[in-house]
Amino acid sequence: MIPIWVLTGFLGSGKTTLLGRLLKTPGFSRTAVIINEFGEIGLDHDLIETSDESFVALQTGCLCCTVRDDLVLTLEDLLRRRAARTAPPFERVVIETSGLADPAPILHALMMGPTFAGQLFVAGVVTTVDAVNGWRTLDRHKEAIKQVAVADRLLLTKTDLLAMPATALSARLAALNPAAQHLPAAFGDVEANTLFDLACGEKAPVELARWLAASAAGEPRRTEHVHDAEIVCIAIVRETPMRAVGLTLLLEVLAEHCGGDLLRLKGLVNIAECPERPAVIHGVQHVFHPPAWLARWPSQDHRSRLVLIGRNLRRAWIEALLTALEMEVAEVHGGAGKLATTGEE
Amino acid sequence: MGTAIPEYVVVLLQESLPAWGVAGVVGRSADGGLEVRAATAHLHVARAPAGLPFRWLVSLGDRKRAVSGVPGLLRTVRAGIDPSYRPIAVRIAALPLAP
Repeated sequence: MIPIWVLTGFLGSGKTTLLGRLLKTPGFSRTAVIINEFGEIGLDHDLIETSDESFVALQTGCLCCTVRDDLVLTLEDLLRRRAARTAPPFERVVIETSGLADPAPILHALMMGPTFAGQLFVAGVVTTVDAVNGWRTLDRHKEAIKQVAVADRLLLTKTDLLAMPATALSARLAALNPAAQHLPAAFGDVEANTLFDLACGEKAPVELARWLAASAAGEPRRTEHVHDAEIVCIAIVRETPMRAVGLTLLLEVLAEHCGGDLLRLKGLVNIAECPERPAVIHGVQHVFHPPAWLARWPSQDHRSRLVLIGRNLRRAWIEALLTALEMEVAEVHGGAGKLATTGEE
Repeated sequence: MGTAIPEYVVVLLQESLPAWGVAGVVGRSADGGLEVRAATAHLHVARAPAGLPFRWLVSLGDRKRAVSGVPGLLRTVRAGIDPSYRPIAVRIAALPLAP
């Protein structure tokens, strides 16, 4: 399957500079780049030179509000052209969003893409943050906060313009999204293979464990931070394995009652029916990836760990919900075991 | 299954109101059920009668709705007390029991 990376970041945070640099490096070869520019006349694609094996497609309009369907069509077209050998045999797709884009709807479109399922998968989100102006941007623009909150990797750009390390901004980003990996970039210099390496195969357990550990850092049982614009990061640890149906019901309730407020969910879950292999769950708002099963546990820690990042989430409610579902599932399994759909008298 | 509402359901509903941004109170009623009082409605939650394939019975005035589990209970209670709530038909496919 071909990985898709979403490259997002607020206006002026250095996305295009970064792409321009990366596209000239060998590590970024065989990459299809889709650039989304807000406005009828795009400029960014003219600022980028590509190698023979990489190429750029352009979309105008804001991906997150008007052209999500176009994005899916573009990806389908790229796959067709690749199969017909009329496009280079790209092995990676990078989608650069416009600076004003809310990345969540874009991730939805990618995760729900009906025809390219099985050919493309969302590998992650890289968010650029301007080390000079990032603090003010986060103060003023809720889109910027959301871009940071959903990131797997945060790239602090323009660090070469600072006389001092951006310690306060880094701390704010870490508080906003404790799970994201932080990478510095001066003059757009960063190794493509570092930025867009895959958290799959042998590296997947390590990557996920890092994500979860970072979220729960400082407190083994639970942690909660209150952030900008009421965004909260909640880490939940369960000592005992969960039944598969309990996890399914949890995701269903979260999707139904949190919806757009649940910006990101990741988890490594010990499923009672298969305790030797952890299930990995990913979700963005009300859309969840099918669970992936790791070949083995990444460490001796076999507890279930869930990390939720979202707006106005309440730990007490999520804990109570999880407990109630576990209790009810246990009761049903111990009793008649029959449940019906909702009905009326 | 007894007739009293278990504590985990009481706690869940008590935590649900602030999570939904709804002002109100949840407390046990004399018959072993639960009363959910919000500004716009007053609901009663009871165990479903034995023999039915449901677990909970939610009453709003004369209207009664039987639900099979916690997700349905939350959906029904919220629909009764939160005017801004729009139930969505989200159903997550069951997790495969084996990889």
